[in-house]
Order: sequence, then structure tokens, then C-alpha cells
Amino acid sequence: MPLTLRRLSFQAMGSPCEIQIYEESRISAKKITQILSSEVSRLERKYSRFIPKSFLSEINYSAGNSMGIKIDKETRALFDHALSCFEQSHGHFDITAGVLNNIWDFQKKIIPTESQINELLPSIGFNKLQWRGSRLYMPANMTIDFGGIVKEYAADAAARLARKIDVQYGLVNLGGDFAIIGPQPDNQPWPIGVADPKNRKALIAKIDALEGGVASSGDYERYFAHQGKRYSHILNPKTGWPSAGLRAVSVAANLCTVAGSIATTAMIKEESEAIKWLEDSGLSYIAMNQNEEIIRNGWQEPSATAE
Amino acid sequence: MKPKPSRSLIALSTSALALPGISVADAPPTQSTASYKISNYQEDDLSRSEAPFGDLDRYDIDVHQFKLISPVGRNFSVNIDANYETLTGASPWFTSVGLDGDPDVNLSGASGIRDKRTEVSIGARYYLENGSIGSNIGYSEEDDYRASYVGFSGERHFNNDLTTVSLAFSHSADDIFPTDAELFGRVISESKYSSSAVISVSQIINQFSTIRTAFSTTEQRGFLSDPYKLIDFRPDNKTQLAWSNSYRRFFVDRNAALHLNYRFYHDDFGISSHTIDTSWFQNLGRNYQLVPSIRYYSQSAADFFTNIDDFLKPLNEYQSSDYRLAAFGAISGSLSLVANFGNWTATLTAERYVASDKYAAYKVNQPSTALVKYNRVSLGFDYSF
Repeated sequence: MPLTLRRLSFQAMGSPCEIQIYEESRISAKKITQILSSEVSRLERKYSRFIPKSFLSEINYSAGNSMGIKIDKETRALFDHALSCFEQSHGHFDITAGVLNNIWDFQKKIIPTESQINELLPSIGFNKLQWRGSRLYMPANMTIDFGGIVKEYAADAAARLARKIDVQYGLVNLGGDFAIIGPQPDNQPWPIGVADPKNRKALIAKIDALEGGVASSGDYERYFAHQGKRYSHILNPKTGWPSAGLRAVSVAANLCTVAGSIATTAMIKEESEAIKWLEDSGLSYIAMNQNEEIIRNGWQEPSATAE
Repeated sequence: MKPKPSRSLIALSTSALALPGISVADAPPTQSTASYKISNYQEDDLSRSEAPFGDLDRYDIDVHQFKLISPVGRNFSVNIDANYETLTGASPWFTSVGLDGDPDVNLSGASGIRDKRTEVSIGARYYLENGSIGSNIGYSEEDDYRASYVGFSGERHFNNDLTTVSLAFSHSADDIFPTDAELFGRVISESKYSSSAVISVSQIINQFSTIRTAFSTTEQRGFLSDPYKLIDFRPDNKTQLAWSNSYRRFFVDRNAALHLNYRFYHDDFGISSHTIDTSWFQNLGRNYQLVPSIRYYSQSAADFFTNIDDFLKPLNEYQSSDYRLAAFGAISGSLSLVANFGNWTATLTAERYVASDKYAAYKVNQPSTALVKYNRVSLGFDYSF
């Protein structure tokens, strides 16, 4: 049987997900997808802040407990990566700012008062985490949110697992975060497009990727306008307010996790700082600012053939 | 031109690469694998001008290897290895001066050598959060040789799994009881003991390349001579040191990997050696891999090596005409084809090995005439379940 592109969709991490692989048999493609999607749901069950029994919920429940909580190796590595994000972004990207999600409600468009925000700021700050061996001690009221890290990590982990079980040509897409398993047959790149934040059916740019990953961060759906300013759902841990810099950014990197960390940091920064951050990274990126202007480096205009 | 990656990008890549789902760190096997391999090793026969008496056939060896590795529970794995070898042919018994003054080789008895070797080893490995520890014991038996050994090893990952340090110790006790000992005046029974220690450090440089360096030392004591040679008298103590280095790099655009290895060896018999080898692992489509390899080896002679056995030398003075103690060089090339089909992997390898004093990097004072050339063909199967 010839190699055929098999596309299989599933729902995970609150997003539509898709795995595309070239396989001879439909049955083995299905088997592979099941293995990969179960890895993604393993990470979702472990790190979702919406699942009360997830390990992340347990971690958050331990805040203020003088006994702390024992952290396994994988979670420790996520904290280590989050520390790297915190340091490199000079504190803009901070997973300990999860508590802000409790007072900002983007669905109901409720704006917290300044005093509500000021009350919470002391329970934010990666440098307030304490470690003793493999035990983590969190200050009271602190909440960890692995947004911008875990979905991207899950995409990379699924792609790596696929390579481990000898899948050669494929692409993992977890709600717009992409990790490439391997190029298309004959070393052809995967075209990855970015949708227009204003019109989800139109592409504003595309990139041809042979390896690595692409991650996006944006305020397409979750945002609100307040006093003529548009606020994204991405919160600035320093001010407690949503960021009002870029509207959307997509980054291509050696790993989806790295692309996600760069993109999330860019979203939290002010526009000019964000563009400098993206330029300095040396990566290919495309960003849209508040005036709906496109700033790009390395991304092409969508060709007429793109869907 | 893209600008160089920033420090932020390097820092973020490093911490991301340490994530267990992305990194290439140790994990217990999740599947059982059984493999079987048959190899045939055939030395080129000598010509009549090199060996005026005795058999011209050199060794012809068939090797059957069986291996099973299986996970037990979440953190444990066990493995069983079994080898069975049959050997026929002759090896040089003594060397003498021919009519033209060049050394001749006399191969052992007209009936030649016929032997079989059976080896069994079992091991277990326990996987910890930051490494693994393991142990194995083994036993090997031939008509005239018995060896039992035990080994322990441990490895630990540091620096977000980018660095791995491993330590291994092993000890073996061997008994030698040559056949036809009384007929040929050979030793009746002797023993030897070896202990070795290895420390190695491997470092992941980035997602495409790794380096590894290792130091090993082996101490041997007991009967280290060749009981089948008429004249062979070696020290009963030997210290060996080796320094091995390897570099691996994956080329995404070529879908291939380069392996480069260098090893330096020295022992107090006076032998030093250099080994350089390189292999190119080329993936072809989704089911095949082609691996050409080339290897160069050169060693200096042992202090007491002689290419002509000296029957007049006092018996308490060391001497040996074993070609493995001569100064020589060797070049070998091999080609492997690996095919994957479902749960099966088949590997076919052909190798040509030629040793000669002409290839020596060290000075050859006394060339050995018994240096081997051989062809080796092997076919192996792995099955995962």
C-alpha cells in the first residue's frame, strides 16, 4: 500500500487537536494516534487547572502548607523550564500568577478593583517558591498556571513519542500549537498557516517547516475592551492587569515548547519591547499589533494555494 | 542570514530539552525484545610458502547469539543473554626460521582445533528517578576454558539530564585446562583473574549531537600466556588503561547520523594502540537503514614480542610470538543493511578485516607473519512484543 496522509482529530486540553501522519495502513495510523492522544490526555489529566484531581490542582491545594508537596521529575522539569521563562522574560512570564485568573473573568467581562488586585500581588512571584530536595513549599494563596507551557510540551512529547515508535512523517497540532514529527515524504516541509485574528477562515501568513514547532498566543477569542483599550486574557504578573501589547503572535522554533515560551513572553510585554524580544530571539515570527498592523520575520505571504 | 540565537533562546531550549517527554534520558524498556543473530567469521587461509608444515586452514567460527530483555513492573528490567560458538581450524603453534631466513608459521596439530563455547548471562536493572543501577552475572564454558564473572554498574543524570555519569565494575575468574596437555607438554591447569573499572561521562550538546568520554582500567593476574604455544612465557600481571571518546551527530536534512570514535590504549606489556572508526547511519525511506563503517587500528609490539621463537632463551625470560602482541596496523570496512517490518528488525552485515605490518603507525622491528585477514557475515533478527 502506498504512503497516504491520514488525519485524525480528537479533543484535548480544551482545544480541537489533530494528528497528521503518512502511513500505509489506516488501522496502524489509528493505533498510532491512540498512543499519541493518550500521551496528550495523560499530560492534561496531570496538569490541567480545570480538573480538580489533577496533580496541578494538588500542588495548588498545597499552597501555604508547611509540609510542602513532593514533586516528581517531570513536574520538576516543567518548573525548571518555567524558571528559565521567568528569568529570560525578566519576570513577565510567571507561572505563579495563576491566582489572577480567579479575579479576572473574561467571559463575564468583570474587571476587578485595584484593591482586589493589590491584595493578590504578594502571592505572585516565582522567586517566592521554596525547594528542599524534591519538595516544593508554596506561599499561601499562590496558584500555579502552566498555560503557555504544558500544551506546547504535550505537542513536543507526542511528536517525540511518535518518532520513538518509528513514525517518520507527521505533524501534531494541539489547538494551533504544532510539533513536527518529521517532514512530509521526500523531505517536503509542512506548510503551517496563521489565521487572521479578525477572520479565522483567512490566512495572514504561512511558514514551511521541516522540523521543530510553531506556537501561537493571542487574544482572538478571549479579550475585552475597556475604556477604548483592548485587553487580552494574558495577564501581566507585575501589574495584575491584562497585557495590552500585541494582539497575536506566532513563533517557529526548534521545539514547540520554546516557541510557546517566546510567544507567551512577547504577548505580556509592551509592543515595542515585545518586538525587540522577538527580533533578539533570532526566530521566525509574525505578530499583529493593536492597530492590526502585521510585523513579521521569516513568514511568507499566504500563497493562493493555501487553504 | 538569520542572526545568531540569543542567550534567551539558548536558555529556553536547554530547559525545554530537559523535559522528560522531550529528552532522550533513560527509561525502562516498555516492550520485551528478543533477538537472535548468527555470524560466520572466516580467516583467510595462509599460503604454503608462509606455513611449510601443518594445516593451512585458519579459524572458521559460527556464532549464535540470543538475547531477551523484558520489563518487570514499572521500574525494573531483566535480561538474559546466551551465546553458542563453534570453532574449527588451527592457530599458530610456533614460528621458526625458514630456509630463506624469513620467519615461518607452524600451525597447530594436523587435526586442527575443534571447540565450542557456551555462555549464559543474566542481569537486572532498576530505574531510579535520576538514573539506574544494574548487575549481571555470567558463566562461559569451552572444552579447555571456564570463566565466571560478575558486574555492577550505575548511572546518574545531572544538569537536567544533559549530563550522565556512569560507573561500572566487573570481576572475572577464569580457569584454563588445555586439551592434550600431557601429549604436548602443556600446562595442566591454570587460572587468571581480571578486575576492571570504567567511568564515563556523556554530555548532550544539543538535540542533534552528543559526546562521551570514558576511562577504563583493567588489572589481570595469573596465567596470561598462551598454553597452546610451544614457547610462550608472559608476565603474570598486566595493567591496562584505555581512554575512549565518541561523538554522535544527527543531520536532519540528510536523515542520517554520523558516529565518530577514537580510543587510546596502553598496557604494561608495552603495547599502545590507537583506534579510529567512523560510521554513517543513513535512513532510506521508512523501513531501511544502510550503515557503511570504516575502522583503522594500530598497535606497538609488546616488549617481549619475537617473530621467531627462541628455543635457546632461558625459560624464565619472557617471550611470545603471538601475532596479537606484534606491532601492526589493521583496516576494516563493513556495510550493514537494517530492515524494519512491523515488530521485526533484520540486520545483515558484511565485514572485511585486513591486518598488516604495512599499515602500522608504530615502528615495526619484527613483523609477525601470522597477522589475520578475515571476512565476517552476520544476520540478526529482533522481535519486539
